[in-house]
Amino acid sequence: MTSVTHSNAKMTATATTRVLGVLAIAATALMTVLGLLISPADVIQGEAVRMLYIHVPSIWIAYGAFVLTSVSSILFLRGRKRREDRGRHYDRLAGSAAEVGVVFTGITLVTGMLWGKVTWGTYWQWDARLTTTVLLFVTYLGYLALRRLPADPIVRSRRAAVMALISFVNVPIVHYSVDWWRTLHQKASLSVGRRPEITGEMYWTLLYSTLAVTIVAAWLIIHRYRVIRLEELRDEETLAALISSRLDKDDGSN
Amino acid sequence: MSEVATVVTGWGITIFVIATYSIWVVSRGKAIGQELGIGEMEQLDPRKDAGATTDL
Repeated sequence: MTSVTHSNAKMTATATTRVLGVLAIAATALMTVLGLLISPADVIQGEAVRMLYIHVPSIWIAYGAFVLTSVSSILFLRGRKRREDRGRHYDRLAGSAAEVGVVFTGITLVTGMLWGKVTWGTYWQWDARLTTTVLLFVTYLGYLALRRLPADPIVRSRRAAVMALISFVNVPIVHYSVDWWRTLHQKASLSVGRRPEITGEMYWTLLYSTLAVTIVAAWLIIHRYRVIRLEELRDEETLAALISSRLDKDDGSN
Repeated sequence: MSEVATVVTGWGITIFVIATYSIWVVSRGKAIGQELGIGEMEQLDPRKDAGATTDL
């Protein structure tokens, strides 16, 4: 069994993450100024277009987080027999990225519903993009629930890794749903190999917002990773204490 | 709801959710760290910060 000692365990904050945290706050503040004050209103959508700068980066970050979860899960499944500690490292990374991905998918859904109300006249429509996105949210919630089920840690991590890979199948479906089916949702604002739907200040504000949200997500994933590690340490200590007390009891009765 | 009210609500919810989640993550780390007896002073030592582990 892997032993993680206190001497090499970190609290969730280090000098590096403190700098990253300050950077995340500054980047979010600038993103708010650009998105709400400097970027112009749209000719058709008016002020409602400002939802673009949180809605679109949120789903992109969620996609990225789920890619990280999948890659980490593959590395965990490949490496778990050879180097157990590295395997657990990838498992923690998968878990922390998935949780952050779920938070940003939730933000995407809520901001999309609000945006939909002013542009479509309804909060919700069971069209392909919205339905696949809510399915993505629910499947990754299931993944997070699976990680909390009581079981042997390695077995649980293996099951979670398989579940992560199954859940990831939906990510490209969500992304291409607007191309594959006729939906109420507009096509992608930015897409590789296609002329951008937006230009000028809106384009740059969207790109900057994506960068700012990426910094925030990176900070969150690093911290969540460290919290998972601390939770494992606590569980190992609790188990060791229980075994020790059981052995003491057995010695006393003999 | 007007366009401006929608935008303010959307941005407000986003910032609230991210801030709340960030505070929860940091607080949970601190609480478990204290439970395990890992001191904050240990983390202020830059030598330990630099090379303690290859993990995140």
